[in-house]
Amino acid sequence: MFKLRHLAAVVALGTAVGLSAPVFAADTYIPLISKGFQHQFWQAVKSGAEQAAKDLNVKVTFEGPETEAMVDKQIDMLAAALAKNPAAIGFAALDSQAAIPLLKKAQAAKIPVIAFDSGVDSDIPLATAATNNALAAGLAADKMASLIGGEGDVALVVHDQTSRTGIDRRDGFVNQIKAKYPKIKIVSIQYGAGDQLKSTEITKSILQANPNLKGIFGANEGSAIGVLNGAKELKRKIVVIGYDSGKQQKAAIRSGEMAGAITQNPVGIGYKTVEAAVKAIKGEKFDKVIDTGFYWFDKSNIDDPKIAALLYD
Amino acid sequence: MSTDLSQTNDVSLRSLRAALFDSAAGQLLLAFASLIVLVAGFGIASPNFLQTDNLIGILQATAVNGVLAVASTYVIITGGIDLSVGTLMTFCAVIAGVFLTYWGYPIGVGVAAALICGALCGATSGFLIAKMEVPPFIATLGMMMLLKGLSLVISGTKPIYFNDTPDFPVIAQDSLIGYLVPSLPIPNAVLILFVVAVAASVVLRSTVLGRYIFALGSNEEAVRLSGVDTDFWKIVIYAVSGAICGIAGLLIASRLNSAQPALGQGYELDAIAAVVIGGTSLSGGRGTVLGTIIGSFIISVLTNGLRILSVAQEWQTVVTGVIIILAVYADIMRRRKT
Amino acid sequence: MTALIEVRNLDKSFPGVKALRSASFTLEAGEVHALMGENGAGKSTLMKMLAGIYSWDSGEVLVDGAPVTIAGPKAAQALGIGIIHQELNLMNHLTAAQNIFIGREPRRRFGFLDEGKLNFDAAALFRRMNVTIDPKTLVGDLTVAKQQIVEIAKALSFHSRVLIMDEPTAALNTAEIDDLFVIIRDLKAHGVGIVYISHKMDELKRIADRVTVMRDGETIATLPAQSTPVETIISLMVGRELAHAEPPKVPEIQGDEALRVVGLSRGRALRDISFSVRRGEILGFAGLMGAGRTEVARAVFGADPIDTGEIWVRGAKLKIHSPADAVRAGIAYLSEDRKRFGLVTAMDVEANISLASVMRHRRAWGFLDFPSLKALAARYVKSLTIKTPSTAQVAKLLSGGNQQKLVIAKWLARDSDILFFDEPTRGIDVGAKAEIYKLLQSLADQGRAIIMISSELPEILRMSHRILVMCEGRISGELTAAEATQETIMKLATRTHVATGTARGGAHGDEHGPVANE
Repeated sequence: MFKLRHLAAVVALGTAVGLSAPVFAADTYIPLISKGFQHQFWQAVKSGAEQAAKDLNVKVTFEGPETEAMVDKQIDMLAAALAKNPAAIGFAALDSQAAIPLLKKAQAAKIPVIAFDSGVDSDIPLATAATNNALAAGLAADKMASLIGGEGDVALVVHDQTSRTGIDRRDGFVNQIKAKYPKIKIVSIQYGAGDQLKSTEITKSILQANPNLKGIFGANEGSAIGVLNGAKELKRKIVVIGYDSGKQQKAAIRSGEMAGAITQNPVGIGYKTVEAAVKAIKGEKFDKVIDTGFYWFDKSNIDDPKIAALLYD
Repeated sequence: MSTDLSQTNDVSLRSLRAALFDSAAGQLLLAFASLIVLVAGFGIASPNFLQTDNLIGILQATAVNGVLAVASTYVIITGGIDLSVGTLMTFCAVIAGVFLTYWGYPIGVGVAAALICGALCGATSGFLIAKMEVPPFIATLGMMMLLKGLSLVISGTKPIYFNDTPDFPVIAQDSLIGYLVPSLPIPNAVLILFVVAVAASVVLRSTVLGRYIFALGSNEEAVRLSGVDTDFWKIVIYAVSGAICGIAGLLIASRLNSAQPALGQGYELDAIAAVVIGGTSLSGGRGTVLGTIIGSFIISVLTNGLRILSVAQEWQTVVTGVIIILAVYADIMRRRKT
Repeated sequence: MTALIEVRNLDKSFPGVKALRSASFTLEAGEVHALMGENGAGKSTLMKMLAGIYSWDSGEVLVDGAPVTIAGPKAAQALGIGIIHQELNLMNHLTAAQNIFIGREPRRRFGFLDEGKLNFDAAALFRRMNVTIDPKTLVGDLTVAKQQIVEIAKALSFHSRVLIMDEPTAALNTAEIDDLFVIIRDLKAHGVGIVYISHKMDELKRIADRVTVMRDGETIATLPAQSTPVETIISLMVGRELAHAEPPKVPEIQGDEALRVVGLSRGRALRDISFSVRRGEILGFAGLMGAGRTEVARAVFGADPIDTGEIWVRGAKLKIHSPADAVRAGIAYLSEDRKRFGLVTAMDVEANISLASVMRHRRAWGFLDFPSLKALAARYVKSLTIKTPSTAQVAKLLSGGNQQKLVIAKWLARDSDILFFDEPTRGIDVGAKAEIYKLLQSLADQGRAIIMISSELPEILRMSHRILVMCEGRISGELTAAEATQETIMKLATRTHVATGTARGGAHGDEHGPVANE
């Protein structure tokens, strides 16, 4: 057993040293602490950051907690990132207030902080690279309204009721409907943790309960796929609007099962974050708010090179 | 208790070997040695690892999981399991938030409310297990979900911030030690972890409660047939474990300056992993608090060290999984020998 | 004629223990060879080697005159050696046939199981053994005796020529033992060699051809079973002459009434049980296995619920809902299964002795009073002569007799004065038995009330002032020490209330031969 323990430690360290070798080659190191790392969206942000790192000749790392609820795990990651004496830090806060002591520490150590994705409620970050989620969801509401003819019942399947993106997309959609389309009724808002299977079950129960439902908005990739699956299993024809991209959503839009979706510019978020960080290190000027934009895409423009560049598989 | 085995006067080579490899004390020694090896290894691999800031970061990262793991240790030694420690922690944090932020009570009241709430929820699990004979796995699984839901309901699915009680975040974030030794700004959360651990260890070794925790884990029916009210003691044990989760809830709320209602699920698995790595047997009857603390540190040193070395996150998870399997395997080997 | 099995000078050491020293013995085809010895004498070790569970350090084993190695249970099976452990290794949720052929199920094409052939083959085995068991019955639904037959059938299905039986009758009643012996004699007639491990001298006389006595890992002597007196065998086993049992004591006890039970009933298990026991009295509870004696003790002790009935302790009527209530009233229950119901075997001697009384050795805030606990443990280790290196020794490392003393110490430490002993000497070797008897006697002399449940009639006859006999959940009769004989007890034990077929008629007292302690 003693030997095994040792072996494990040696293997762990060996793996660690082997995998980390490239990092030590870097002069300028910028860790990005994100809200997650498993979803395709975050992988796209990561690839944007890596692209920028290559273009600007810096080294980046990218990590985030397993779920968006793990606020304290993210704080630990931020602490470890700071311990590595980085040149700058990119940070997408799960909870801004919880991170403030560490952000102050970064400020004291003169490490520039660039916020990305949903931003940080603090004046410490020098810039924020993000999508305006509320506006984007409002666009989704407009599209939904025109696709169902301006009246009828619709529903939402949202990934989370506590996270900023969940709240913004939900409220952005709901407020737009309430303000502009009095004949459209929102009959149900349900939360599926962004899990495809859970969202599928939720969708089926919504459809069972509302035989006249005309459309559902899935507020992130997992939710949207769940909505599609649920409608398919019950053989119901409804207008499905999604969010973000990914292989399945793209295929569904091409085949017409999904009317369309909002895409952010995740690659751009990653790229712009690193770009702003490098500018901050060099003392160059940059915008405080970096709107990375969002776009509606459907069957008609999915292969448009401008859109296709924003989509990920 | 079984650690005393090594004190028998037979000092033959075999008993020495047995003391090292088979006994609980030996397991502790090995776990501690593994921890030292990890720290040394990471220290050599990266100059950033052994810096004070980072070491304090590790201590702080261990505080919450360490306290939860201590809570789980009691239950696991009785041969039970508690899957609700993570969400119970969150629930207690939310209760503290409700008392302090929503209702404006003084901090002492909020702290007491969180601890009492933890004890009551623990006692509820204990009641389900002892009196209604629901298997611990199921009873605490139910509690886990129930408490997660209640946290969301009570908080209105939003984090509750402690901005009106600026003294509350101080509990975990300030450093008493730092006042005395300015070069060692170890946050109070860590101090609290050690106080909890020492107290829990003393209770386990030197009180009637501790005696019954081991006895229940070794042979519950024999204890019942010895005239001990096992139902009552089980409820007490789960209640104490729940109160310790309440401490964890206060720590995390104080550290994050907020009660995060969606957090907590999954933390029970980290706690169980720490307990197991520390040499406590999942089949009950054997274990130490010290081992659990060492187990918690092994997990957080590993996590932090791999991060410092910028190992890809996917691989960090793989390594942690391997370590847990090895630890359980070691436990099984040990049991096969005796 | 070469022996079926010949064991020559086997040695085996476990860390710190020499388990076998130059052990030798032979087994002929068609003989029942009994292996006797105190617990720890090396019987099980020797047999586990033949069954491929342990390997030997030096020496050799010959099967049909040819030296062999037995690398594992599979190798033992290939050599035709089958073993039936004391604790049966059956899967309760499978049928008898499925158990017998587990891992070797007959198959049809595409890997489908041939359930028909499986049951047919099992039925054939049972027919060969002259027993009637439906191969399709779930093993969990069979009696222990029938389960044992399934184990034997399983061993035979490997075409075993050697069958090792480790205390096969430990859990059987008299009638079932008779049935088992019929099977054994039949196997013998078919040339199977049987190694029979037992503590019971009467069985030895009834079934064995030869007996080999083991002591401290050595094979002391091999003797003809029928012509050797029991005393000789016992003295070889213990290595000393046993002091003869003391004569029966004064039959009438005039102490105050300690416990009275009136009209205790629960379902079909307990029907209208009434009895009383005085201070200083040993009340024997005799009966066949399953007659309800353990159930009486557990019901009075609050371990199982009752439907109706009153319990009076020292003249006061009590409600006993749990063992905690009973213990508070000074009642103790010492189960036959000490490891499961009496001890926390993973904990040390001190923790076990203080298990029922630890609340009396605490200080403020629930802290344990360690000096007081240590003193308590040391006192009972001394007064009951518990053999242990220290009070910090883990209970599972003690021998059966010392474990029993540990349980007794637990109750004495709690000042219990009404003690139910359920099979107090089960699994305890001959030497230690005498000590337990002395202990029971002295507990009674101190004024405690003892209720002793035992299936060993000589034990009941020797110890009891008064004897209650149970049959099918009822008390079928009461005997004074003067009236009681093996015959009178057996008559009452088989006197079923309504004539049903459950108590089979074969149990006659006269089949009990000379017994160990007389």
